[in-house]
Amino acid sequence: MTKRNDDEPGKNPPPPELGDLSARLKDLSGRIAAEKSEHAESAKPSASLQGATGFAKGYRLASEFVAGTLVGGLVGYGFDWLFGTLPFGLIIFLLLGFGAGILNMARAGNRVPPAQERLGSNPPPKAALDDEEED
Amino acid sequence: MANDPIHQFQIQELAGPFHIGGYEISFTNSALFMGISVATVTLILLAAAARGALVPGRLQSVGELWYEFIHNMVKNVLGPEGKPFFPLVFSLFSFVLVANMLGMFPYFFTVTSHVVVTASLAVFVVALVVVVGIAKHGLGWFKLFVPHGVPGVILPFISLIEIISFLSRPVSLGLRLFGNMLAGHIVLKVFAGFVVSLGALGFGGILGAVAPLAMAVALTALEFLVAFLQAFVFAILTCVYLNDALHTHH
Repeated sequence: MTKRNDDEPGKNPPPPELGDLSARLKDLSGRIAAEKSEHAESAKPSASLQGATGFAKGYRLASEFVAGTLVGGLVGYGFDWLFGTLPFGLIIFLLLGFGAGILNMARAGNRVPPAQERLGSNPPPKAALDDEEED
Repeated sequence: MANDPIHQFQIQELAGPFHIGGYEISFTNSALFMGISVATVTLILLAAAARGALVPGRLQSVGELWYEFIHNMVKNVLGPEGKPFFPLVFSLFSFVLVANMLGMFPYFFTVTSHVVVTASLAVFVVALVVVVGIAKHGLGWFKLFVPHGVPGVILPFISLIEIISFLSRPVSLGLRLFGNMLAGHIVLKVFAGFVVSLGALGFGGILGAVAPLAMAVALTALEFLVAFLQAFVFAILTCVYLNDALHTHH
């Protein structure tokens, strides 16, 4: 309970719990303002892995690529298993999976915008993004 | 064989197979350690929150750091709309972290070194992304796979690549955690096995065993880092994927 004595010392001070209350109110409103500005700056989420170390980043890139290729091959093999066209589905989907792996890696490295940015009917240019209302 | 590096991953039935509805279900060491992980998380957090002191003690500090770490992550990646998903991400992170850390104890079973466990978690996360995306945007969510501004000739290929890319998410999410834990524990065991085999050769062998012993010590430290890092990566990728389902306008 630190009572802040930033009022003029000449006047009679307010009762102690009231002074404490006003200090806390001031503190609270300051915190609310800080929280609001924090919200405003975090409203545009960054999907990057900047907090992770290089080790995690490297491992992530490798596994993204392997997963893409693997899933492509599996989808192709499943396609062949369903329709009895053995080599062709595997070949085509393995190549597509290779592409998907590259796309995954490029996205993990923030070289390609994530797929979600396409959902809007007409995405505004980057410059006009920050003065949009987003609360 | 004491030096078998795979032996530590064997599933053992602790309470014999029960036949429930035509399935053979048994209580294994994997299930036991999942239970221990959940109990550990629950007990630590309950103990941390028990006093609720204004100036936190050591345990309460740990609990608060733990909570705020994930809270800030969810807030930064998902924004304010991500608040409903905070409990999920926190649970996933805590479970994976504690399961990884428990696996670092000698003779303990590492739950996350089995692809069944990690793949189940990953498939659950991606299924949730699909459900949330469709709930929020209806069938328009599938436009995720159809980029605009692409010439019609190559559009089917791009869509297929996007779909495969989306399908590869649970694979990469689950395989990464599984692979890290499996490989780390095997390497640790192999180097520790070198120490034992070289030490059995006599004085020269004991001298030679110093190198793999130092390696095993260093790898133990690295494994602790990996155990934390993989839990972190799993949690943040859950957030990044949920971001796809949540944020769409503009």
